[in-house]
Amino acid sequence: MSELFNSLSILILLSSFILMANKRVKSYIKTFRFQSFLIAFAAGIIGVKSILEEGRFDVLLVCLVIIILKVIYIPNLLNKMQLNVEYKVEKDFILNIPILIMGCCAIVMFTYFSLSGTDIVSRGAINNQIVNSISLTLIGLFFMISRKKAIGQIIGFLEIENGLFITALYMTGGMPLIVDLGTFIDLLTAVMIMGVMVFRINEKFESINIDKLNNLKG
Amino acid sequence: MRSFIYILVQLSIVLLFAPLVNGIIKKIKAFSQKRRGAPVFQMYFDLSKLMKKNTVISDVSSWIFKATPYIVFSTSVIAALLVPVSTFIAPDQMPGDFIMLVSILALGRFFMMAAALDTASTFGGMGSSREAMISSLTEPSILVSMFTLGLISQSTSITQIMNKMGSTGTPLLHPVFIMIFLSLFTVLFAETARIPVDDPATHLELTMVHEAMILEYSGRHLALMEYGAAVKQLVFITLLINLFFPHDQSIALTGISAVCLSLLIYFIKMVCISVVIALIEVNTVKFKLFSIPNLAALAFILSLLGFLQYFVLGGSHV
Repeated sequence: MSELFNSLSILILLSSFILMANKRVKSYIKTFRFQSFLIAFAAGIIGVKSILEEGRFDVLLVCLVIIILKVIYIPNLLNKMQLNVEYKVEKDFILNIPILIMGCCAIVMFTYFSLSGTDIVSRGAINNQIVNSISLTLIGLFFMISRKKAIGQIIGFLEIENGLFITALYMTGGMPLIVDLGTFIDLLTAVMIMGVMVFRINEKFESINIDKLNNLKG
Repeated sequence: MRSFIYILVQLSIVLLFAPLVNGIIKKIKAFSQKRRGAPVFQMYFDLSKLMKKNTVISDVSSWIFKATPYIVFSTSVIAALLVPVSTFIAPDQMPGDFIMLVSILALGRFFMMAAALDTASTFGGMGSSREAMISSLTEPSILVSMFTLGLISQSTSITQIMNKMGSTGTPLLHPVFIMIFLSLFTVLFAETARIPVDDPATHLELTMVHEAMILEYSGRHLALMEYGAAVKQLVFITLLINLFFPHDQSIALTGISAVCLSLLIYFIKMVCISVVIALIEVNTVKFKLFSIPNLAALAFILSLLGFLQYFVLGGSHV
Protein backbone atom coordinates (compact mmCIF):
# COMPACT_ATOMS: atom_id res chain seq x y z
CA MET A 1 0.00 0.00 0.00
CA SER A 2 2.77 2.45 0.87
CA GLU A 3 4.39 1.62 -2.50
CA LEU A 4 1.24 2.90 -4.18
CA PHE A 5 1.24 6.12 -2.17
CA ASN A 6 4.94 6.65 -2.88
CA SER A 7 4.31 6.22 -6.59
CA LEU A 8 1.28 8.50 -6.49
CA SER A 9 3.25 11.21 -4.72
CA ILE A 10 6.07 11.04 -7.26
CA LEU A 11 3.53 11.14 -10.10
CA ILE A 12 1.97 14.26 -8.59
CA LEU A 13 5.43 15.83 -8.39
CA LEU A 14 6.01 14.80 -12.00
CA SER A 15 2.80 16.54 -13.05
CA SER A 16 4.16 19.77 -11.58
CA PHE A 17 7.31 19.36 -13.69
CA ILE A 18 5.18 18.84 -16.78
CA LEU A 19 3.20 21.93 -15.84
CA MET A 20 6.45 23.87 -15.67
CA ALA A 21 7.48 22.57 -19.11
CA ASN A 22 4.19 23.59 -20.72
CA LYS A 23 4.10 26.56 -23.02
CA ARG A 24 0.46 27.35 -23.66
CA VAL A 25 -2.41 28.27 -21.39
CA LYS A 26 -4.57 25.43 -22.71
CA SER A 27 -1.96 22.86 -21.74
CA TYR A 28 -1.56 24.47 -18.30
CA ILE A 29 -5.23 23.83 -17.70
CA LYS A 30 -5.03 20.26 -19.02
CA THR A 31 -2.06 19.44 -16.79
CA PHE A 32 -3.71 21.05 -13.80
CA ARG A 33 -6.76 18.88 -14.38
CA PHE A 34 -4.51 15.81 -14.50
CA GLN A 35 -2.75 16.83 -11.29
CA SER A 36 -6.05 17.39 -9.47
CA PHE A 37 -7.25 14.03 -10.71
CA LEU A 38 -4.18 12.33 -9.23
CA ILE A 39 -4.76 14.13 -5.93
CA ALA A 40 -8.42 13.11 -5.95
CA PHE A 41 -7.29 9.53 -6.60
CA ALA A 42 -4.95 9.60 -3.59
CA ALA A 43 -7.69 11.11 -1.44
CA GLY A 44 -10.11 8.46 -2.69
CA ILE A 45 -7.83 5.61 -1.67
CA ILE A 46 -7.20 7.13 1.75
CA GLY A 47 -10.96 7.75 2.04
CA VAL A 48 -11.88 4.15 1.31
CA LYS A 49 -9.21 3.01 3.76
CA SER A 50 -10.52 5.27 6.52
CA ILE A 51 -14.09 4.08 5.95
CA LEU A 52 -13.03 0.45 6.23
CA GLU A 53 -10.76 0.96 9.21
CA GLU A 54 -12.30 3.78 11.26
CA GLY A 55 -15.76 4.32 9.80
CA ARG A 56 -14.96 7.92 8.80
CA PHE A 57 -16.47 9.05 5.53
CA ASP A 58 -15.22 12.65 5.49
CA VAL A 59 -12.10 12.00 3.38
CA LEU A 60 -14.22 10.39 0.70
CA LEU A 61 -16.49 13.44 0.78
CA VAL A 62 -13.46 15.69 0.33
CA CYS A 63 -12.40 13.52 -2.60
CA LEU A 64 -15.81 14.09 -4.22
CA VAL A 65 -15.53 17.83 -3.64
CA ILE A 66 -12.07 17.83 -5.27
CA ILE A 67 -13.41 16.00 -8.32
CA ILE A 68 -16.31 18.40 -8.71
CA LEU A 69 -14.34 21.54 -7.95
CA LYS A 70 -10.80 21.06 -9.20
CA VAL A 71 -11.17 18.41 -11.89
CA ILE A 72 -14.38 19.71 -13.46
CA TYR A 73 -15.50 23.17 -12.39
CA ILE A 74 -12.35 25.33 -12.07
CA PRO A 75 -10.63 24.02 -15.23
CA ASN A 76 -13.83 24.68 -17.20
CA LEU A 77 -14.03 28.16 -15.70
CA LEU A 78 -10.41 28.82 -16.67
CA ASN A 79 -11.02 27.50 -20.18
CA LYS A 80 -13.95 29.88 -20.59
CA MET A 81 -11.85 32.73 -19.22
CA GLN A 82 -9.08 31.87 -21.63
CA LEU A 83 -11.46 31.89 -24.60
CA ASN A 84 -12.72 35.35 -23.65
CA VAL A 85 -9.30 36.92 -23.28
CA GLU A 86 -7.64 35.11 -26.14
CA TYR A 87 -4.37 36.67 -27.14
CA LYS A 88 -1.62 35.98 -29.59
CA VAL A 89 0.88 33.27 -28.66
CA GLU A 90 3.79 35.16 -27.21
CA LYS A 91 6.59 34.39 -24.85
CA ASP A 92 4.97 33.95 -21.50
CA PHE A 93 7.87 32.96 -19.28
CA ILE A 94 10.88 34.85 -18.07
CA LEU A 95 13.59 32.17 -18.34
CA ASN A 96 13.69 29.36 -20.89
CA ILE A 97 12.11 26.03 -20.08
CA PRO A 98 15.21 23.85 -19.43
CA ILE A 99 16.47 26.36 -16.86
CA LEU A 100 13.05 26.50 -15.21
CA ILE A 101 12.97 22.69 -14.97
CA MET A 102 16.49 22.64 -13.50
CA GLY A 103 15.25 25.22 -10.98
CA CYS A 104 12.39 22.89 -10.03
CA CYS A 105 14.87 20.09 -9.48
CA ALA A 106 16.97 22.37 -7.29
CA ILE A 107 13.80 23.07 -5.29
CA VAL A 108 13.25 19.35 -4.73
CA MET A 109 16.83 18.91 -3.52
CA PHE A 110 16.52 21.98 -1.29
CA THR A 111 13.34 20.59 0.25
CA TYR A 112 14.96 17.26 0.87
CA PHE A 113 18.02 18.74 2.55
CA SER A 114 16.04 21.21 4.63
CA LEU A 115 13.62 18.52 5.80
CA SER A 116 16.19 15.78 6.36
CA GLY A 117 17.05 17.12 9.83
CA THR A 118 13.47 17.28 11.05
CA ASP A 119 11.68 14.73 13.12
CA ILE A 120 9.05 13.82 10.51
CA VAL A 121 11.52 12.77 7.88
CA SER A 122 14.01 11.00 10.07
CA ARG A 123 11.24 8.69 11.26
CA GLY A 124 11.47 7.38 7.76
CA ALA A 125 8.13 5.82 6.95
CA ILE A 126 6.58 8.65 4.98
CA ASN A 127 9.62 10.73 4.12
CA ASN A 128 9.46 10.83 0.37
CA GLN A 129 5.76 11.67 0.35
CA ILE A 130 6.39 14.68 2.58
CA VAL A 131 9.39 15.82 0.52
CA ASN A 132 7.48 15.46 -2.74
CA SER A 133 4.37 17.24 -1.57
CA ILE A 134 6.18 20.15 0.09
CA SER A 135 8.25 20.57 -3.08
CA LEU A 136 4.98 20.67 -5.00
CA THR A 137 3.96 23.73 -2.96
CA LEU A 138 7.29 25.44 -3.57
CA ILE A 139 7.22 24.59 -7.29
CA GLY A 140 3.77 26.20 -7.40
CA LEU A 141 5.30 29.39 -6.01
CA PHE A 142 8.10 29.15 -8.56
CA PHE A 143 5.53 28.65 -11.33
CA MET A 144 3.74 31.81 -10.21
CA ILE A 145 6.86 33.94 -10.42
CA SER A 146 8.01 32.39 -13.67
CA ARG A 147 4.85 33.22 -15.64
CA LYS A 148 3.89 36.71 -16.74
CA LYS A 149 0.30 36.13 -17.74
CA ALA A 150 -2.49 36.29 -15.20
CA ILE A 151 -3.96 32.85 -16.00
CA GLY A 152 -0.56 31.23 -15.46
CA GLN A 153 -0.44 32.85 -12.06
CA ILE A 154 -3.90 31.57 -11.18
CA ILE A 155 -2.73 28.07 -12.08
CA GLY A 156 0.34 28.56 -9.88
CA PHE A 157 -1.89 29.59 -7.01
CA LEU A 158 -4.05 26.50 -7.49
CA GLU A 159 -0.93 24.33 -7.58
CA ILE A 160 0.22 25.76 -4.24
CA GLU A 161 -3.15 24.86 -2.80
CA ASN A 162 -2.86 21.34 -4.26
CA GLY A 163 0.52 21.00 -2.60
CA LEU A 164 -0.78 22.11 0.78
CA PHE A 165 -3.73 19.76 0.55
CA ILE A 166 -1.67 16.72 -0.41
CA THR A 167 0.88 17.48 2.33
CA ALA A 168 -1.88 17.63 4.92
CA LEU A 169 -3.48 14.49 3.53
CA TYR A 170 -0.29 12.46 3.63
CA MET A 171 0.75 13.67 7.07
CA THR A 172 -2.55 13.32 8.88
CA GLY A 173 -4.52 10.84 6.79
CA GLY A 174 -7.35 13.35 6.33
CA MET A 175 -7.81 16.79 7.90
CA PRO A 176 -11.06 17.69 9.70
CA LEU A 177 -13.81 18.16 7.16
CA ILE A 178 -14.59 21.75 8.10
CA VAL A 179 -10.97 22.84 7.48
CA ASP A 180 -10.86 21.29 4.03
CA LEU A 181 -14.23 22.67 3.00
CA GLY A 182 -13.22 26.11 4.27
CA THR A 183 -10.06 26.02 2.15
CA PHE A 184 -11.98 24.97 -0.92
CA ILE A 185 -14.51 27.77 -0.56
CA ASP A 186 -11.67 30.27 -0.14
CA LEU A 187 -10.06 28.83 -3.25
CA LEU A 188 -13.24 29.07 -5.28
CA THR A 189 -13.79 32.67 -4.25
CA ALA A 190 -10.17 33.55 -5.02
CA VAL A 191 -10.34 32.02 -8.48
CA MET A 192 -13.61 33.78 -9.28
CA ILE A 193 -12.29 37.16 -8.10
CA MET A 194 -9.10 36.61 -10.07
CA GLY A 195 -11.23 35.75 -13.11
CA VAL A 196 -13.04 39.04 -12.84
CA MET A 197 -9.70 40.82 -12.45
CA VAL A 198 -8.43 39.12 -15.60
CA PHE A 199 -11.41 40.47 -17.50
CA ARG A 200 -10.84 43.96 -16.15
CA ILE A 201 -7.13 43.96 -16.99
CA ASN A 202 -7.97 42.69 -20.44
CA GLU A 203 -10.59 45.38 -21.02
CA LYS A 204 -8.36 48.19 -19.90
CA PHE A 205 -5.12 47.16 -21.54
CA GLU A 206 -6.25 44.74 -24.32
CA SER A 207 -3.87 42.16 -22.89
CA ILE A 208 -3.56 40.16 -19.72
CA ASN A 209 0.18 40.59 -19.52
CA ILE A 210 0.72 41.91 -16.03
CA ASP A 211 3.85 43.78 -17.10
CA LYS A 212 1.47 46.36 -18.45
CA LEU A 213 0.24 47.13 -14.95
CA ASN A 214 3.47 49.10 -14.64
CA ASN A 215 1.84 51.72 -16.88
CA LEU A 216 -0.27 52.69 -13.88
CA LYS A 217 2.79 54.04 -12.09
CA GLY A 218 2.96 57.81 -12.18
CA MET B 1 29.64 -23.56 -25.28
CA ARG B 2 27.06 -21.61 -23.35
CA SER B 3 28.23 -18.29 -24.75
CA PHE B 4 28.21 -19.76 -28.26
CA ILE B 5 24.56 -20.76 -27.87
CA TYR B 6 23.84 -17.34 -26.40
CA ILE B 7 25.35 -15.52 -29.38
CA LEU B 8 23.51 -17.78 -31.81
CA VAL B 9 20.08 -17.40 -30.19
CA GLN B 10 20.49 -13.72 -29.42
CA LEU B 11 21.64 -12.80 -32.92
CA SER B 12 18.98 -14.84 -34.67
CA ILE B 13 16.19 -13.36 -32.51
CA VAL B 14 17.37 -9.77 -32.86
CA LEU B 15 18.18 -9.90 -36.56
CA LEU B 16 14.93 -11.69 -37.32
CA PHE B 17 12.59 -9.46 -35.35
CA ALA B 18 14.19 -6.04 -35.84
CA PRO B 19 12.51 -5.24 -39.20
CA LEU B 20 9.21 -6.59 -37.89
CA VAL B 21 8.96 -3.79 -35.30
CA ASN B 22 9.20 -1.20 -38.06
CA GLY B 23 6.61 -3.11 -40.06
CA ILE B 24 4.12 -3.13 -37.17
CA ILE B 25 4.60 0.57 -36.48
CA LYS B 26 4.17 1.47 -40.15
CA LYS B 27 1.05 -0.69 -40.42
CA ILE B 28 -0.61 1.01 -37.44
CA LYS B 29 0.30 4.43 -38.77
CA ALA B 30 -1.27 3.45 -42.09
CA PHE B 31 -4.46 2.32 -40.33
CA SER B 32 -4.65 5.66 -38.53
CA GLN B 33 -4.65 7.38 -41.92
CA LYS B 34 -7.40 5.06 -43.28
CA ARG B 35 -4.94 3.34 -45.62
CA ARG B 36 -4.34 -0.35 -45.91
CA GLY B 37 -0.60 0.18 -45.82
CA ALA B 38 2.32 -2.00 -46.83
CA PRO B 39 2.44 -5.57 -45.47
CA VAL B 40 3.99 -6.06 -42.05
CA PHE B 41 6.96 -7.84 -43.62
CA GLN B 42 7.66 -5.08 -46.13
CA MET B 43 10.99 -4.14 -44.59
CA TYR B 44 12.34 -7.66 -45.16
CA PHE B 45 11.49 -7.38 -48.87
CA ASP B 46 13.04 -3.91 -49.02
CA LEU B 47 16.23 -5.07 -47.40
CA SER B 48 16.62 -8.13 -49.65
CA LYS B 49 16.01 -6.01 -52.74
CA LEU B 50 18.47 -3.34 -51.63
CA MET B 51 21.07 -6.02 -50.98
CA LYS B 52 20.91 -7.06 -54.65
CA LYS B 53 21.27 -3.54 -56.03
CA ASN B 54 24.40 -1.70 -57.01
CA THR B 55 25.81 1.00 -54.78
CA VAL B 56 26.56 4.44 -56.13
CA ILE B 57 29.47 6.17 -54.42
CA SER B 58 30.40 9.78 -54.90
CA ASP B 59 33.85 10.37 -56.45
CA VAL B 60 34.82 12.95 -53.85
CA SER B 61 34.07 10.77 -50.84
CA SER B 62 36.78 9.10 -48.78
CA TRP B 63 37.03 5.70 -47.10
CA ILE B 64 34.85 6.90 -44.22
CA PHE B 65 31.85 6.94 -46.51
CA LYS B 66 32.43 3.34 -47.60
CA ALA B 67 33.31 1.98 -44.16
CA THR B 68 30.46 3.64 -42.25
CA PRO B 69 27.59 1.26 -43.19
CA TYR B 70 29.61 -1.71 -41.96
CA ILE B 71 30.62 0.13 -38.77
CA VAL B 72 27.06 1.25 -38.06
CA PHE B 73 25.63 -2.21 -38.62
CA SER B 74 28.29 -3.99 -36.58
CA THR B 75 28.06 -1.56 -33.66
CA SER B 76 24.30 -2.11 -33.58
CA VAL B 77 24.80 -5.87 -33.59
CA ILE B 78 27.41 -5.69 -30.81
CA ALA B 79 25.03 -3.51 -28.81
CA ALA B 80 22.35 -6.15 -29.37
CA LEU B 81 24.70 -8.80 -27.95
CA LEU B 82 25.05 -6.77 -24.75
CA VAL B 83 21.30 -6.74 -24.04
CA PRO B 84 20.03 -10.32 -23.65
CA VAL B 85 16.49 -11.01 -24.85
CA SER B 86 16.02 -13.51 -22.06
CA THR B 87 18.01 -13.80 -18.84
CA PHE B 88 17.90 -17.60 -19.15
CA ILE B 89 20.20 -17.73 -22.14
CA ALA B 90 22.62 -15.08 -20.87
CA PRO B 91 26.01 -16.51 -19.87
CA ASP B 92 27.08 -16.02 -16.25
CA GLN B 93 30.12 -13.95 -17.04
CA MET B 94 29.22 -11.62 -19.85
CA PRO B 95 31.80 -9.09 -21.03
CA GLY B 96 30.57 -5.52 -21.29
CA ASP B 97 28.08 -3.43 -19.35
CA PHE B 98 25.76 -0.51 -19.94
CA ILE B 99 28.59 2.01 -20.19
CA MET B 100 29.95 -0.12 -23.01
CA LEU B 101 26.47 -0.20 -24.58
CA VAL B 102 26.18 3.59 -24.59
CA SER B 103 29.70 4.09 -25.92
CA ILE B 104 29.30 1.49 -28.67
CA LEU B 105 26.13 3.14 -29.87
CA ALA B 106 27.93 6.49 -29.70
CA LEU B 107 30.74 5.09 -31.87
CA GLY B 108 28.29 4.08 -34.58
CA ARG B 109 26.61 7.44 -34.38
CA PHE B 110 29.94 9.24 -34.62
CA PHE B 111 30.80 7.46 -37.86
CA MET B 112 27.32 8.10 -39.22
CA MET B 113 27.75 11.83 -38.61
CA ALA B 114 31.26 11.81 -40.08
CA ALA B 115 30.07 10.02 -43.21
CA ALA B 116 27.24 12.48 -43.65
CA LEU B 117 29.78 15.30 -43.56
CA ASP B 118 32.12 13.39 -45.87
CA THR B 119 30.10 13.77 -49.07
CA ALA B 120 29.84 17.52 -48.42
CA SER B 121 26.17 17.63 -49.34
CA THR B 122 24.26 20.34 -47.53
CA PHE B 123 21.62 18.00 -46.15
CA GLY B 124 24.21 15.66 -44.67
CA GLY B 125 25.91 18.43 -42.74
CA MET B 126 22.57 19.70 -41.46
CA GLY B 127 21.46 16.22 -40.41
CA SER B 128 24.69 15.46 -38.60
CA SER B 129 24.71 18.75 -36.71
CA ARG B 130 21.14 18.06 -35.55
CA GLU B 131 21.97 14.49 -34.63
CA ALA B 132 24.96 15.72 -32.61
CA MET B 133 22.69 18.08 -30.70
CA ILE B 134 19.98 15.50 -30.02
CA SER B 135 22.36 12.75 -28.99
CA SER B 136 24.34 14.96 -26.63
CA LEU B 137 21.06 16.01 -25.04
CA THR B 138 19.72 12.49 -24.53
CA GLU B 139 22.86 10.65 -23.51
CA PRO B 140 22.99 12.08 -19.93
CA SER B 141 19.50 10.79 -19.22
CA ILE B 142 20.38 7.24 -20.36
CA LEU B 143 23.51 7.25 -18.24
CA VAL B 144 21.90 8.69 -15.10
CA SER B 145 19.00 6.24 -15.28
CA MET B 146 21.28 3.27 -15.86
CA PHE B 147 23.59 4.39 -13.05
CA THR B 148 20.63 4.53 -10.68
CA LEU B 149 19.62 1.00 -11.65
CA GLY B 150 23.25 0.00 -11.26
CA LEU B 151 23.37 1.47 -7.76
CA ILE B 152 20.25 -0.43 -6.81
CA SER B 153 21.48 -3.76 -8.14
CA GLN B 154 25.12 -3.18 -7.09
CA SER B 155 26.43 -3.97 -10.55
CA THR B 156 26.94 -2.36 -13.94
CA SER B 157 26.27 -5.56 -15.85
CA ILE B 158 22.98 -5.44 -17.74
CA THR B 159 22.17 -9.08 -16.97
CA GLN B 160 22.67 -8.50 -13.24
CA ILE B 161 20.41 -5.44 -13.36
CA MET B 162 17.76 -7.44 -15.21
CA ASN B 163 17.91 -10.20 -12.60
CA LYS B 164 17.56 -7.67 -9.80
CA MET B 165 14.62 -5.96 -11.48
CA GLY B 166 12.97 -9.33 -12.00
CA SER B 167 13.22 -10.14 -8.32
CA THR B 168 11.44 -6.91 -7.27
CA GLY B 169 8.10 -8.17 -8.58
CA THR B 170 6.35 -5.36 -10.46
CA PRO B 171 8.99 -2.64 -10.83
CA LEU B 172 6.59 -0.10 -12.28
CA LEU B 173 4.82 0.32 -8.93
CA HIS B 174 8.02 1.61 -7.40
CA PRO B 175 8.66 5.40 -7.42
CA VAL B 176 12.30 5.07 -8.54
CA PHE B 177 11.59 2.73 -11.42
CA ILE B 178 8.52 4.59 -12.64
CA MET B 179 10.61 7.75 -13.15
CA ILE B 180 13.43 5.87 -14.85
CA PHE B 181 10.99 4.04 -17.10
CA LEU B 182 9.43 7.31 -18.23
CA SER B 183 12.88 8.78 -18.84
CA LEU B 184 14.11 5.83 -20.90
CA PHE B 185 10.85 5.71 -22.81
CA THR B 186 11.27 9.38 -23.77
CA VAL B 187 14.86 8.69 -24.78
CA LEU B 188 13.69 5.79 -26.97
CA PHE B 189 11.84 8.23 -29.21
CA ALA B 190 14.90 10.46 -29.58
CA GLU B 191 17.33 7.60 -30.15
CA THR B 192 15.25 5.77 -32.73
CA ALA B 193 14.32 8.92 -34.66
CA ARG B 194 10.62 8.74 -33.93
CA ILE B 195 8.04 11.45 -34.17
CA PRO B 196 8.27 13.99 -31.37
CA VAL B 197 11.96 14.39 -32.24
CA ASP B 198 12.35 13.26 -35.83
CA ASP B 199 9.97 11.98 -38.48
CA PRO B 200 11.09 8.64 -40.00
CA ALA B 201 8.75 8.99 -42.98
CA THR B 202 9.74 12.43 -44.16
CA HIS B 203 12.21 13.64 -46.74
CA LEU B 204 11.41 17.29 -46.20
CA GLU B 205 14.69 19.08 -45.74
CA LEU B 206 13.47 21.27 -42.91
CA THR B 207 12.58 18.43 -40.60
CA MET B 208 14.65 15.34 -41.35
CA VAL B 209 17.50 14.31 -39.07
CA HIS B 210 18.24 10.63 -39.48
CA GLU B 211 17.07 10.50 -43.08
CA ALA B 212 19.29 13.46 -43.96
CA MET B 213 22.35 11.57 -42.82
CA ILE B 214 21.68 8.47 -44.91
CA LEU B 215 20.46 10.39 -47.94
CA GLU B 216 23.63 9.75 -49.99
CA TYR B 217 23.59 6.01 -49.50
CA SER B 218 22.20 3.48 -51.94
CA GLY B 219 22.04 -0.25 -52.52
CA ARG B 220 23.74 -2.53 -50.04
CA HIS B 221 25.07 0.36 -47.97
CA LEU B 222 21.58 1.79 -47.50
CA ALA B 223 20.29 -1.64 -46.51
CA LEU B 224 22.98 -1.94 -43.85
CA MET B 225 22.27 1.53 -42.49
CA GLU B 226 18.53 0.86 -42.23
CA TYR B 227 19.03 -2.57 -40.78
CA GLY B 228 21.43 -1.10 -38.21
CA ALA B 229 18.86 1.51 -37.19
CA ALA B 230 16.17 -1.17 -36.83
CA VAL B 231 18.46 -3.35 -34.69
CA LYS B 232 19.30 -0.37 -32.47
CA GLN B 233 15.59 0.29 -32.01
CA LEU B 234 15.00 -3.32 -30.99
CA VAL B 235 17.91 -3.08 -28.51
CA PHE B 236 16.16 -0.22 -26.72
CA ILE B 237 12.82 -2.04 -26.75
CA THR B 238 14.50 -5.17 -25.34
CA LEU B 239 16.10 -3.07 -22.62
CA LEU B 240 12.70 -1.65 -21.65
CA ILE B 241 10.98 -5.05 -21.68
CA ASN B 242 13.58 -6.89 -19.63
CA LEU B 243 14.12 -4.07 -17.14
CA PHE B 244 10.60 -2.86 -16.47
CA PHE B 245 8.31 -5.72 -17.53
CA PRO B 246 10.33 -8.73 -16.40
CA HIS B 247 8.75 -12.14 -16.78
CA ASP B 248 11.65 -14.57 -16.40
CA GLN B 249 11.33 -14.96 -12.62
CA SER B 250 7.72 -16.06 -12.77
CA ILE B 251 8.34 -18.93 -15.20
CA ALA B 252 8.29 -22.17 -13.23
CA LEU B 253 9.61 -24.44 -15.98
CA THR B 254 13.24 -25.39 -16.44
CA GLY B 255 15.52 -26.16 -19.34
CA ILE B 256 14.69 -25.60 -22.97
CA SER B 257 10.93 -25.19 -22.46
CA ALA B 258 11.54 -22.28 -20.04
CA VAL B 259 13.67 -20.55 -22.67
CA CYS B 260 11.00 -21.06 -25.32
CA LEU B 261 8.24 -19.73 -23.06
CA SER B 262 10.39 -16.77 -22.08
CA LEU B 263 11.08 -15.94 -25.72
CA LEU B 264 7.40 -16.28 -26.56
CA ILE B 265 6.41 -13.82 -23.82
CA TYR B 266 9.23 -11.56 -24.97
CA PHE B 267 7.82 -11.60 -28.48
CA ILE B 268 4.31 -10.71 -27.27
CA LYS B 269 5.66 -7.86 -25.16
CA MET B 270 7.74 -6.61 -28.07
CA VAL B 271 4.65 -6.44 -30.26
CA CYS B 272 2.75 -4.62 -27.47
CA ILE B 273 5.51 -2.02 -27.04
CA SER B 274 5.66 -1.50 -30.81
CA VAL B 275 1.92 -0.87 -30.83
CA VAL B 276 2.26 1.62 -27.95
CA ILE B 277 5.09 3.42 -29.76
CA ALA B 278 3.00 3.58 -32.92
CA LEU B 279 -0.01 4.93 -31.01
CA ILE B 280 2.11 7.63 -29.37
CA GLU B 281 3.63 8.49 -32.72
CA VAL B 282 0.19 8.80 -34.29
CA ASN B 283 -1.10 11.01 -31.50
CA THR B 284 1.75 13.51 -31.22
CA VAL B 285 3.08 16.16 -33.53
CA LYS B 286 6.73 16.61 -34.36
CA PHE B 287 8.38 19.22 -32.16
CA LYS B 288 10.28 22.02 -33.76
CA LEU B 289 14.01 21.60 -33.40
CA PHE B 290 14.39 24.19 -30.68
CA SER B 291 11.73 22.55 -28.53
CA ILE B 292 13.73 19.33 -28.34
CA PRO B 293 15.91 20.67 -25.48
CA ASN B 294 12.70 21.04 -23.45
CA LEU B 295 11.84 17.39 -24.00
CA ALA B 296 15.42 16.33 -23.29
CA ALA B 297 15.48 18.43 -20.12
CA LEU B 298 12.28 16.73 -18.99
CA ALA B 299 13.77 13.28 -19.71
CA PHE B 300 16.95 14.15 -17.85
CA ILE B 301 15.02 15.52 -14.88
CA LEU B 302 12.88 12.38 -14.77
CA SER B 303 15.98 10.24 -14.43
CA LEU B 304 17.49 12.64 -11.91
CA LEU B 305 14.26 12.57 -9.88
CA GLY B 306 14.42 8.79 -9.89
CA PHE B 307 17.99 9.04 -8.66
CA LEU B 308 16.94 11.48 -5.92
CA GLN B 309 14.05 9.28 -4.85
CA TYR B 310 16.51 6.44 -4.44
CA PHE B 311 18.40 8.51 -1.89
CA VAL B 312 15.30 10.01 -0.26
CA LEU B 313 13.89 6.53 0.23
CA GLY B 314 17.20 5.31 1.59
CA GLY B 315 19.26 2.99 -0.56
CA SER B 316 18.28 -0.21 1.21
CA HIS B 317 14.57 0.24 0.62
CA VAL B 318 14.43 -1.36 -2.82
